[in-house]
Amino acid sequence: MRPFPLLLLMTLVVVIPADARTTVVDDSGTLPYNAPLLLHWQQLSPRRPVNNRMTGTLTLRVKLNVAPWLRRPGRIYLVLPAQQPGAMNASWSTQGRLLAGRVSSGTRSLVYSGLITTPFIEDVLQLTLEVDGTQMRQLYHVNFRFEMDED
Amino acid sequence: MPPLRRDTCQRLGKTVLHNASRLARLVLCAALLASVSHTVCAFTVTIAPTAPKTVYLQVGVGGFTGNYNAGGTPGNNATVNKDSVTVAAAAVGNGTPQAMTTDSTVGASSYDGFAFCNVPAQLYIGGFYRTTTVGGGSVNVTATVPAALVDAAGDTLSFARISWTTGGNGPTGSTPTQPFPAGTFTAGAVQTVGAIAQNQWAESCWTFSYSNTTIPAAGTYTGRVLYTLTAP
Repeated sequence: MRPFPLLLLMTLVVVIPADARTTVVDDSGTLPYNAPLLLHWQQLSPRRPVNNRMTGTLTLRVKLNVAPWLRRPGRIYLVLPAQQPGAMNASWSTQGRLLAGRVSSGTRSLVYSGLITTPFIEDVLQLTLEVDGTQMRQLYHVNFRFEMDED
Repeated sequence: MPPLRRDTCQRLGKTVLHNASRLARLVLCAALLASVSHTVCAFTVTIAPTAPKTVYLQVGVGGFTGNYNAGGTPGNNATVNKDSVTVAAAAVGNGTPQAMTTDSTVGASSYDGFAFCNVPAQLYIGGFYRTTTVGGGSVNVTATVPAALVDAAGDTLSFARISWTTGGNGPTGSTPTQPFPAGTFTAGAVQTVGAIAQNQWAESCWTFSYSNTTIPAAGTYTGRVLYTLTAP
């Protein structure tokens, strides 16, 4: 084993608490699961300062399978991993079961905290995605995921 | 299972299997996954620019409602403006260029309303090119020029006798690098008359003149030039 990875591994072991447990939540009941989203210029004309952001909104019927955590407390986050086409922001509103919020590439945002009382958590999200239009050269598949943090 | 979801799951497996020779990274990956389970995959949004390219060109009167910097919106305007000059009989063919004037009433920039051009001496030309790609590209504005202006009797006058200077009021108007520079019509040709850099607004004011170096038959000579902005 080369010295560098070993050093990095040791550092990570120190950073991650021994009792922390994060699990990706099964959201395969979400519809649409692979949703198409057409982006529009936020600013149609390039007036100064030039805003090259593109944005689009879609409706998602989110269904999270939280049965494994039934009758236990937990925190659920919506994660937007860093990916192509670069820096992105996502914001969403909900109908109240989940929390509304905002997340940027490489970060996550809390959408639920408390006791899990039902096998499924469902809500309808109005998800708005914001992308740098100058990075848009093709279709991109933007991946999200929900994560459960257990205490 | 949707194809993309399946692919996402497989990609994780391939990474681990195909990098078996890189033992150090495998150990590191395993350490990271120990606290984050990837037994399920998550939803995906496929994004596409629905209108990645937008162009707007205005020569004379345009179709803009409001100003760009105040949230105005571009639109279409079918108006065809006219630049003209009446040469006095005593001056016909004396070699003194004759300044032309426009019937366009647009002197204000559609960008911010600034009084950029002086009408009727100057003709406003401006526009923008919106694209999603990175870089310093530009698009050209071309003029499709007939061979000649024609009067009612069929007499002709070459379009090459009409030229223009360029400028504009304010600090940007005096710069030598106007996006739409001075020029002379090339009779019977399609010629480039300016360029618009991507994701930028460009504008100039043109002052046309007739060279007045020949003595044509008396008459009213007309011809129409078509300006085109083309994006790749």
